[in-house]
Amino acid sequence: MAQQTAATSPLRLPQREAARLDDAWRPKRFAAFRAVVRDRSAVFGLVILAGVTLMALAANLIAPYDPTALDPTSNLAGSSREHWLGTDNLGRDIFSRLVHGARWTLGAAGLAAAGIVILGVTIGIVAGYAGGLLDDLLMRVVDVLLAFPSMILALAVVGMLGPSLTNVLIGMVAVWWVDYARVVRGLTLRVVQNDYVLSAHCCGCGRRRMILRHILPNVIPSVIVLATLELGALMLAISGLSFLGLGAQPPTPEWGTMLSDGRLFFLNAPQLMMYPGVAITLVVLGCNLLGDGLRDALDPRQRVR
Amino acid sequence: MLRFILRRLSYLVPVWVGISLVAFILASLTPGDPARLALQRELGRQPTAEETAAAREQMGLDDPAPVRYARWVGDALTGDLGTSYRTGKPVLASLAERFPTTLQISGLGLALAVALALPLGMLAAVYRRGPIDHASRILALLGASMPSYWVAYLLILLLSVRLGWLPVAGSTTWRHAIMPALTLGIGGSASLMRLTRAEMLETLGQDYIRTARAKGLTQRTMIVRHALRNVMIPISTVLGMRFAGMLGGAVIVETIFAWPGIGKLVVDAIFDRDYPMIQGFVIFMGTVFLVINLIVDIGYGLIDPRIRLTGR
Amino acid sequence: MRGIKARQIDRRALLRVAGATGVSAALLRPVVAGAAQEAPSGSARVGVSEDGYRTDERANVGFYPLNTGIFESLVHLTPDYQIEPLLAEAWELVAPSTWRITLRQGVIFHDGSVFDAKAVKYTMDRIAANGGGVMGIGEESTVIVDDHTVEITPTYVNMRLMQQIGHPNNSILPEGLNPAEQRIGTGPFREVEYVAGDHYTVAANPDYWGEDAAGVGEITFRFYPDPTSRLLALQAGDVDLIIDVPRQSASQVEAVGATLRTGPVGAYEAMYVNINGAEPYDLGGDPAVREAISMAIDRQQIIDSAWQGFAEPGTTMIPPAILGDSASLVSAPELDVEGAKQVLEAAGWVAGDGDVRAKDGRELKLTIINGYGTAADHGSVPELLQAQLKAIGVNVEIVQTPDTATYEQRLAVGEGDLWLEAGSQNDGNPCFLPDLLFSSPVEGGDPESTMYGRAFAPGEAFDTAITAAREAEEVSDVQKAAAEAMNVVINEERVVIPLCGFYRIIGASSAVAGFDLHASGVNQRWTSLTLNG
Repeated sequence: MAQQTAATSPLRLPQREAARLDDAWRPKRFAAFRAVVRDRSAVFGLVILAGVTLMALAANLIAPYDPTALDPTSNLAGSSREHWLGTDNLGRDIFSRLVHGARWTLGAAGLAAAGIVILGVTIGIVAGYAGGLLDDLLMRVVDVLLAFPSMILALAVVGMLGPSLTNVLIGMVAVWWVDYARVVRGLTLRVVQNDYVLSAHCCGCGRRRMILRHILPNVIPSVIVLATLELGALMLAISGLSFLGLGAQPPTPEWGTMLSDGRLFFLNAPQLMMYPGVAITLVVLGCNLLGDGLRDALDPRQRVR
Repeated sequence: MLRFILRRLSYLVPVWVGISLVAFILASLTPGDPARLALQRELGRQPTAEETAAAREQMGLDDPAPVRYARWVGDALTGDLGTSYRTGKPVLASLAERFPTTLQISGLGLALAVALALPLGMLAAVYRRGPIDHASRILALLGASMPSYWVAYLLILLLSVRLGWLPVAGSTTWRHAIMPALTLGIGGSASLMRLTRAEMLETLGQDYIRTARAKGLTQRTMIVRHALRNVMIPISTVLGMRFAGMLGGAVIVETIFAWPGIGKLVVDAIFDRDYPMIQGFVIFMGTVFLVINLIVDIGYGLIDPRIRLTGR
Repeated sequence: MRGIKARQIDRRALLRVAGATGVSAALLRPVVAGAAQEAPSGSARVGVSEDGYRTDERANVGFYPLNTGIFESLVHLTPDYQIEPLLAEAWELVAPSTWRITLRQGVIFHDGSVFDAKAVKYTMDRIAANGGGVMGIGEESTVIVDDHTVEITPTYVNMRLMQQIGHPNNSILPEGLNPAEQRIGTGPFREVEYVAGDHYTVAANPDYWGEDAAGVGEITFRFYPDPTSRLLALQAGDVDLIIDVPRQSASQVEAVGATLRTGPVGAYEAMYVNINGAEPYDLGGDPAVREAISMAIDRQQIIDSAWQGFAEPGTTMIPPAILGDSASLVSAPELDVEGAKQVLEAAGWVAGDGDVRAKDGRELKLTIINGYGTAADHGSVPELLQAQLKAIGVNVEIVQTPDTATYEQRLAVGEGDLWLEAGSQNDGNPCFLPDLLFSSPVEGGDPESTMYGRAFAPGEAFDTAITAAREAEEVSDVQKAAAEAMNVVINEERVVIPLCGFYRIIGASSAVAGFDLHASGVNQRWTSLTLNG
C-alpha cells in the first residue's frame, strides 16, 4: 500500500517530476507517442491493461459462471475442465470471480483516479488562473494535505465513516488530488503567462473559452501520464484496504477481498490466494510498465539508455 | 542557516493548524452520537437518554464548532488528545508508546531497501542494457507491483515454514523484525533502484568522470570515489519520502506479523470505532511527517546552499 | 478481515453471563487444601488470537478474555455448564436476595498472602465501582461475616448470582491489587512475564491449593491476531498449540501436519426475525413469512459449505448442555422447501414476475443484517441464506454492518427484517440471554433489553416462561422453564431461527500429549495441558 504507493509512483515527488514532464511535453507530443509505441515493455503494459479492461467490460460474456452462484457440491476444487482455476470454499468458480472482480478492482481504481483528476485539475486551474488570495488559500490546503502520506488520511476517513469501498474511495480522492492540483496549477500559470495566450486574452477571449481552448489542452496530457503512473498505486492501496477488511466487503469479488478470504484456505487450496495475487500483480505491473514508458518518452533525461 | 531554519519553522505553523483542522473535521464526520458511544463503552451497555444528555453536556458537545475546536487544539497542544474508548488510556501515551516500534521496522525496511537498491541500481547503470540491467529492472517492477500483504505470506512460507530461519510473527527479538522490514523494503527498493540507475547514468556521462576515466582511474575506484558520492545526494533527498511511505505501509504488515506498532493500533481502533484514537492518530502522524519534512528540508539546505537562498 | 474473534463474541457473553440454582454436593470436587505438588516440567507454547486486555480501571490482564490460569473465581463452570465449588466451598440463600458464601480455607495467593473474605469484598467492590454488571453488585452488596464467610446482596433479587459469579471476569484479586500493574492470584499458574501484544508467560504454581494443578512447567501464550499467521506459526513449529482456529479453515490444521481437536458446543449462530417492524421492515410480522423462512433453512448446507463441516445443526440459541435433560423439549423446525412454498402460497404470497413472490402488489423482499459479533464471524452464511430463501421466492438483500455498535444503532431503530447473530455462553445461567433478547420491553428497563424487545418480543407466553426460569430455585426447574421459553420463540412464534451450534477448534502439534477443551474459551483450565516426553 502506501510504501508501494510511494514506490510505484515516483511522481509523488511532485515539483521535480512535474517540471520534467512539463519541459518534455509540449514540443515532443507526437515524438513521445512514437517513443512509447517503440518501447516494447510499455506496449506490453498497454496490452495487459487493455486486455483486463476488455475482460472487465465483457465479464458477462467471458465468465462461464455467475460469480456469486454457489455450488456446495464442489468446494475448494482444483483446476478442471469445468472450473479452469478451480473453485473457492463455497464452490464458486474462481475464474468467473476473477473476471468479474476486474470490474471492481479496475473500476474502483479508475473511479478513484477519475475523482482525483477532476478534483485536482479543477482546483489546479482555479488556483493558477485566479491567482491572488484564492490561489494562496488553495495552495495552503495543498500543503496541509501533502503533510500526510496518502495512506494515513485514507485510513482516517475510513475509520471515521466506517469500512466500505465507497468510503475508501472517498478517502483516496480526498488526499491524492493534491499532487495533481499542484502540477496543473504550475502548467496553468505557464500557459497563462504565455505570449499567445496573453494576446488571446487581449483580443477579448472569454474566461471559459480561455480555459477550454488554451489551458485544458495543455494540462490534460500531462495529467493522463500522471494518472496512468498512479493507477497501479491506487489499485494496490484500495486492494490493501480491502485486504484489511476496510474496503470492499464480501461477497464482492474484489481481488483484495478474494485474496483476504482465500488466505484462510491457502494450504488446502493455494489457488484461492495465488490467482488474485497474480492478477493484482499483473495489472499493477501493466500500469507501471506503461507509466514508465510514458515517462521515459517524455523525459529526455531518463531516456538516456 | 539559522534564518533558513526559522523561516521553515514559521512556515510550519499554518500547516500544523491545517492538520489539526483536518483531524477535527474528520472526527465530526462520524455517524452516531460520540457521547452515546463513549458512554456505551464506559458502561458496557446502552446508556439511557438522560445519561447521554448529561454526557453531552459534560463533554461540551453542544457548544458551537469553533469553541469545540479551540478547546480541542488547546488540549492537543498540552499533550491531551483524549482517552481511548477501548483501552481507557490517554491517546497520546498509546501513540507515543507504539510509534517507536513502527519506527524500528520502517527504519530497518528503509535500510534494506537502500542496501538492495544502491548496488543493483549502480550495477544496472554500469552494465547498461546487459543482463544485470534487465534483471534488476524486472525485479524492481515486480517488487513495486506485488501487493505487500501477498509478499508477506510468501516470505513467511519461504523463510519460516520452508527454511525455518525466522519466527512467523511476534516482536520480542531482532529476528522478528526482519520479515516485516523485508516486506516493506521490497516495495520501497524498486523506485530507489530506478532512481539510482538514472542518476548513475547521468553521472557517468559527465565530463569529470570522463576525465577521471581518461586519467586511468580504474572503474571501481571511479565508481566508489566519484559516482557513488554524486548519486547519494539525490537518493538521500527522496529517503524522507520513502520513509513516510513505509510508515503508512506498516499498517498491513504489522497486522500480519503481529508487530505491535502504530499501524496495528489504528486498524484496531477503526474496527472498534475508537474515534479519539483515530483522531489522535491523524494529528500525531501529521505532526510526525511535518517534522520529517523539516529535517529533510534542513538536510537538503545543508547539502545544497541554493535551496537555502531561494527558499523553495 | 480478521477472522472469527473470540473477543467480539465474548463482549456479549460478558453482558449476558448466566445464573442458575443451588449445586448438589455431588459436583464438589475433592481437593486437598495446601497440598504441595510435584513440580511439572516442560514448557508449552500456545498461539492465541489478539491481546484483548485492557489496563484502565476495569483492567482484566490475565483473566479475560484470555484466562491464563493465574486467577480463579468463586465457582468453576464445568464443560457441561454446571457450576462447582472453586474458591467458594458452599453457598446458600439466607434471605430473599442475600447469598451467604463460605470460602475455602488454606488458600494462599502467589505472593504468600492468605485468601479470605477481605479479598472477596475488595473484588466485589471493584465490580460495583465499575457499574455492578449483570449480577447487580452494589457498593453495599458485599458484607464480611467472618474471615471465611461473606454475604452478597445484589441490588435486585438475583436467583442466578452463583451461576454468574463464576465468570472469569469476576476472578478474585488480593486486597488492593490493580491487575493493570500486577497479577497475583490463587490459580495453578503464576505470572512470569507479560509483554502487551506479544506474549504472556506463566509458570506452574508449586504451592497450588487444589489437586487440579499445572501439567507443564511453563506456558507461553503468543498473540497472533492474523489467523493465517497463527496457523503458519503452528506449521513452522513456533508454537505447540493454537486456539481460535477459524472454523471454515479448520481442515488447514491437518494440512500443516498437526492434530485437529474439537470440544463441546459452547456458542451459537442464529437469526432473529423482526416481528414488530414498521414499513418497509414489517413483513416479519406475518406469521406465514416466519414459518416459511424457518422451513426453508438448510442447516446442513450451511455447515458443510460455510463452515466446512465444523459445526453442528443448531436447535436452540444456547448450548444444549446447559438445558440438561430439558434440551430435548426444544427442536428446530425441519427443512421442508415445498412445505415452505405452500405456506406462503396459502397466505397469499404468490409467484409474480420472475422468482420473487408478491402479495397485493408488494414484493416479498427482506433485508438481512449481518454484524453481530462481527460480520466476519458469519463467514459466507449470509450468502447461503440468501440463496436458500431465493429458492422459496423470497428476495433477500444483505446489509453488512462494520461493527457491533453500528449493528445496534440499526437495531435500535428497527431497520432490518432478519438479524444474524453469534454469541457464546460463558456461564451457567440458561435464561439470561433469552430474557434479555425476547422479554417484552418494560418502562425504564435495561436499554439493550428494550432495544431487542421492541423488535423481537413475542409477548405473554414467553414472558411467563422466562420469568419462571429466572425465579426458580432448583436447577432442573430452571432448565425446564428456559426450554419452554425457547420453545415459544423457536417453534411457536418462530422469531428465532437457530442455525448452528459452534464448538471450539484447536490445532495441536505432536508435542502435545493431552488437553481438555472447554466449551467456553474463557473458562478454559490450562492445567489439562500436558506435553510428551
